[in-house]
Amino acid sequence: MPGLTQDRLWSEAVILEAPNRVLRVQSTRDALLCLKNHWPPPEGNGSARSDALAACDRVIEGQDEPDVARAAFIKAAEEAHFAVHSWTGREGA
Amino acid sequence: MDGPEDKAPMDKAMRVRDVMSRQIYTVSPTDTAQSVARLMKETGVGALPVEVPGVGTILGIVTDRDILTSVVAQGRSTSTAVFEFMTVAAESCEEGDSILLAAQKMHDLRIRQLVVVDEKRHAAGIIALADITRVSPELGGLVLDGMSRHEPASQQLEGMSPCPA
Repeated sequence: MPGLTQDRLWSEAVILEAPNRVLRVQSTRDALLCLKNHWPPPEGNGSARSDALAACDRVIEGQDEPDVARAAFIKAAEEAHFAVHSWTGREGA
Repeated sequence: MDGPEDKAPMDKAMRVRDVMSRQIYTVSPTDTAQSVARLMKETGVGALPVEVPGVGTILGIVTDRDILTSVVAQGRSTSTAVFEFMTVAAESCEEGDSILLAAQKMHDLRIRQLVVVDEKRHAAGIIALADITRVSPELGGLVLDGMSRHEPASQQLEGMSPCPA
């Protein structure tokens, strides 16, 4: 997993709430791991999750800015019905 | 009490670079206990160097045991930042050091991992007691034996201290 030796920090953390758990994410690598290993099974096609995974890969490889991964992560969280708390994103979606 | 330097002279020629792991995952002091735990789960690594983001200077190390004993057992939030429970380690080693010296540091400080740093104090790798034991079971056994004979530390070990919150 050579990609995981790199990380790109976000300017603000994103906090996701679901029954019985809270995920606090503030970097691209951590977002990638949440999406990969700690995400609820998709109800639909999970396209926002796929997009977010791809965005995280691009950012870790230096091809995009961390805010791109953060925005994609928030969309994926909304798709997965997390309550999203973030300074710049939508509250309680 | 005998230290590892008093025995196992056959291992003196072996260097840290010969046994260390070069694939190194670092974390930031502002990362959280839960994000570090997720990285440990994914990589299977139980000890991660803490570096200054964007600079690369190594500040210390955080282990799975730190998360258990200093966060979970204390009832602290999993959002607790790494700098609040990491071990600030002045001790490290270099690639050209002998594994005997690395073993001696582990023995004296009662730690099982040392960060390997370059001349800029950037992480070059990590060496674990298990790496030493793999190439020299006798030396590894001496370090473990020495650790188990120590009294539990109530005083601060030289070169290591909890990071102030």
